Amino acid sequence: MIQLLNWFRRRALERGLNRELQYHFDRRVADLTAAGIPEPEARRRVAAELRLPRVREEVRDVWLTRWFRDFLYDLRFSARSFLRSPGFTAATLLSLALGIGATTAIYSLVDQVILHALPVREPGRLVLVDWNGDDLITYATGSSNLMPYSICRDLQQQTRFLDGVLCRAEIQVNLTAGGDPRPVAAEIVSGSYFSVLGVGPTLGRVIEPEDDAAPGAGPVVVLSYDFWQAQLGGAADIVGRKVLIGNHPMTVVGVAAAGFRGVDVGAVPAFWMPTSMSADANLDEDDLLHSPVRWLQILARLRPDVTLAQAQTGLQPWFKAWLEESTRSPVFPRISADHRREYLATTLELASAPQGHSPLRRSLSQPLWLLFAATGVLLGLACLNVAGLFLARGSARGREIGTRLALGASRGRIGRQLLADSLLLAVAGGVLGAAVAPLAIRGLIAFLPHDLAANALRDTLSFRLLTFAFLASIAAGLLSGLAPAFHAGGDSLVNSLRERGGTGFGGVRLRKMIVTLQVAFSLILLVGAALFLRTLTGLLAKGPGFDTSSLLSFAIAPLQNGYSGADASRLIRRLDEQVRALPVARSSAAARIAFLNGWAWSNYVTIQTDRRIVSNRTVYFNAVSPGYFATLGVRLLAGRDFDRSDVRPVGEIGPRCAIVNEAFVKRYLAGRDPLGVLIARGGSSDVKPDSRIVGVVADISYRGVRDDSEQVFFPLFEHDDTGATFYIKVRGAPEQAIPSIRRLVREDDPRLPILWFRTLDDQVNRSLNTERMLAALSVSFGGLALLLSLVGLYGVMSFVVTRRTREIGIRLALGATGGSAIRLVLRDAVFMIAVGMAIALPCVAALGKLVQSQLFGVTATDPATIAAAALVLGAGALVAAFIPAWRASNVTPTDALRLE
Amino acid sequence: MPSPRFPIPQGTLDMLILQILSLEPAHGYGIAQRLEQISRSVVQVNQGSLYPALHRLQQRGWLRAEWKQSETGREAKFYSLTPAGRRQLAVEKDSWARLSGAVNLIFEEGSR
Repeated sequence: MIQLLNWFRRRALERGLNRELQYHFDRRVADLTAAGIPEPEARRRVAAELRLPRVREEVRDVWLTRWFRDFLYDLRFSARSFLRSPGFTAATLLSLALGIGATTAIYSLVDQVILHALPVREPGRLVLVDWNGDDLITYATGSSNLMPYSICRDLQQQTRFLDGVLCRAEIQVNLTAGGDPRPVAAEIVSGSYFSVLGVGPTLGRVIEPEDDAAPGAGPVVVLSYDFWQAQLGGAADIVGRKVLIGNHPMTVVGVAAAGFRGVDVGAVPAFWMPTSMSADANLDEDDLLHSPVRWLQILARLRPDVTLAQAQTGLQPWFKAWLEESTRSPVFPRISADHRREYLATTLELASAPQGHSPLRRSLSQPLWLLFAATGVLLGLACLNVAGLFLARGSARGREIGTRLALGASRGRIGRQLLADSLLLAVAGGVLGAAVAPLAIRGLIAFLPHDLAANALRDTLSFRLLTFAFLASIAAGLLSGLAPAFHAGGDSLVNSLRERGGTGFGGVRLRKMIVTLQVAFSLILLVGAALFLRTLTGLLAKGPGFDTSSLLSFAIAPLQNGYSGADASRLIRRLDEQVRALPVARSSAAARIAFLNGWAWSNYVTIQTDRRIVSNRTVYFNAVSPGYFATLGVRLLAGRDFDRSDVRPVGEIGPRCAIVNEAFVKRYLAGRDPLGVLIARGGSSDVKPDSRIVGVVADISYRGVRDDSEQVFFPLFEHDDTGATFYIKVRGAPEQAIPSIRRLVREDDPRLPILWFRTLDDQVNRSLNTERMLAALSVSFGGLALLLSLVGLYGVMSFVVTRRTREIGIRLALGATGGSAIRLVLRDAVFMIAVGMAIALPCVAALGKLVQSQLFGVTATDPATIAAAALVLGAGALVAAFIPAWRASNVTPTDALRLE
Repeated sequence: MPSPRFPIPQGTLDMLILQILSLEPAHGYGIAQRLEQISRSVVQVNQGSLYPALHRLQQRGWLRAEWKQSETGREAKFYSLTPAGRRQLAVEKDSWARLSGAVNLIFEEGSR
């Protein structure tokens, strides 16, 4: 560090040293002349004694180690020569900044979503506990890694393997903390949560085991630091304040440590509350603490002396006993003996979870890795481009280098100079790239599918990110500098001096190899771009199965505001009728599950025809009010829609009915009349098929545009309803209907928040966010790659033409036509393009398997797509090569020969 | 004709400089003269090699330097010991004593 400082004050240091040595010199001379030696003789003797040049050099070595000093001189020399050729510098800087900026931005998301360990104590010892249990019995709700509360409670006794067990569930509640109630995301957690994670409070205390000791024991919440800062202004007197969760009063007992955002990177909780208060969180069930419903995730901390495999094996005997015990529970369903055996054979599964648990990670990790790989290729391309430019510049500098070699510079020394060139450029490019990266990250986050993700992901540059950008720059510098450096080291001195000015041998073969590789890389990226573009256009063309224009949706969750199921049902029914009566509404309907949202209500279905069958995969359900299909414009293929008479008041028994979609009929009722067939939700043997199919509708999307699932619709208001999404076909612009709807809901219950207003166009767009991100980014990467390789090709071809000007001129003088000159040059280019493509195609085939799952309506090795990409690349490349070729054909023999 | 003075052993120059400066601050020429005097012209120090050593010691924080008027009235760069330098001198003296003691012991062993 001091040494680096010395570099910047080397002038002052030199001055001081000179004065110091001069003083010594003069004193010594004075002493010698005083002793009677004549002055000239004294001066000569002192000079020999002191050997000043050597002393100076040795002192300079003390200031700054030799190689470091030389390297800094190299860098200074590089910087000066770059400033002298601004065009070259701008081109290389831009290539590198683009490559590094893009890679850094994508890496930021990879790091945040996939790699980043939770900011807790020893995250490496955290494991996710999962049960590969039987869906039929364990009431899996289609979401991930869910477990019943009782396993979490009992697992805490297994201290031989585990150093603590926590469970948590993500919940949506209405929070009133001064002002209007607002819907927020929160985590409901076991009392062990904070102590197992090792997270403390910023203020007050965190949730403790006592809060969770018995149902209703701890009416307390702990706020997240971010929520406290952003929504409550970081009020210092927050501890002890009362808030309402729904309409249950709770006390704020603390604020969690800053930087801790729960265990799910995609869902940032506003606060945490203990599981003992699950009844107050208004989840659908009354007694979640004792029921077998799987509703939370379990994370555990391994004991330091236990491995994952040991714990997994060691816990099985206990789990076996737990399974046996659970079958004796009064709520355990009656099942067949086979089924029971299957159930008892299920096991507990442990997986390392240093990053916590996150559905967002699962859905995004593949697209993100893909994009990361793409940016890696792009960065490689940028490096190749810079290497090509360096080679070109190196050939222009051939004489300079030759002269330096002739004067005695070692080849290593010259090579180091060239390496300094490229490192300086790469680091400068990296700084530029890091400067634009936050913008790029912000853009990327806007693409992401979840609203929550936008809150959870940061666009700031962390230390890790800067380290990454720095390492990427150094790697880029080394990569792009190595080829020219070796080249300079290997060229023959005599050759380079013999060359005439400006036309030195420029490593043409090396440059051609570089361009060939560039062609290969860009074809890979172009094929990717074409595939993702076709996927997006395919999905947009498919749509959700109906016309989304003029459709508006809004949602409410009355249970979160303390409504009972029956009251909620009545409210939804009331609102449904009132919305329908609004003048702006052409028609309207309500549904329990909002589609295209990733949510699902699913189970197996038992179908009773002449025999009883159970669906062989889960079927998606929805409950809808009459007029739902007409509002959306979904075609009714057979039978009828629900009507008023199908809608049963709460609790009333009577004939039930259902509507199924085309896919359901195709899969399970092919070749028979579906109308009148009895079905029921659930697949176990005690299920009674009691709902009569009264209609068949065309297929529409459920969770996302991609899926073509089997669906069954039931009438809304049949029993307790948790919430509803209303769909309104409006007259005019959908936005204009919003105020009147808002007024209507407020008149009914001023405390009930509307969760969202969304047009269906917007909803479809949102559900395609990941696809759009992949398409937009891969197209821009492909475009950049194309540009980079075309520039590279143009550069090398121009160079070849310049070098062969004389030869071409002579050929033309001897009677060759311009056309043959063009052919001569183009033959070279075509060869490079062809070899590049030949390298790329097997890579495309190999990479295809990785991207297949992200595609829709096109296979990864689709010949038409690949051909189109190759055509675009080939056409562009030929144009880039044709310009220099055309110039070659216009060479006049006299000019060419005058170059002599 | 072999020189009656032998060159200074590797690594001892630093110690000698520290020792000289522990008595009083001095400039480079002064240190050179004192070296000559103290070593009674037995040890030969190249006058030039003093300066890299001085700068090295200063960079390590064992010496501090300031420009002051010298005895001739001209400005000269005076070096003096820092507390860290003083500690370093003690360490080097100690290890030197142990080394020479050990060497002596070996010689006596051999002559017995």
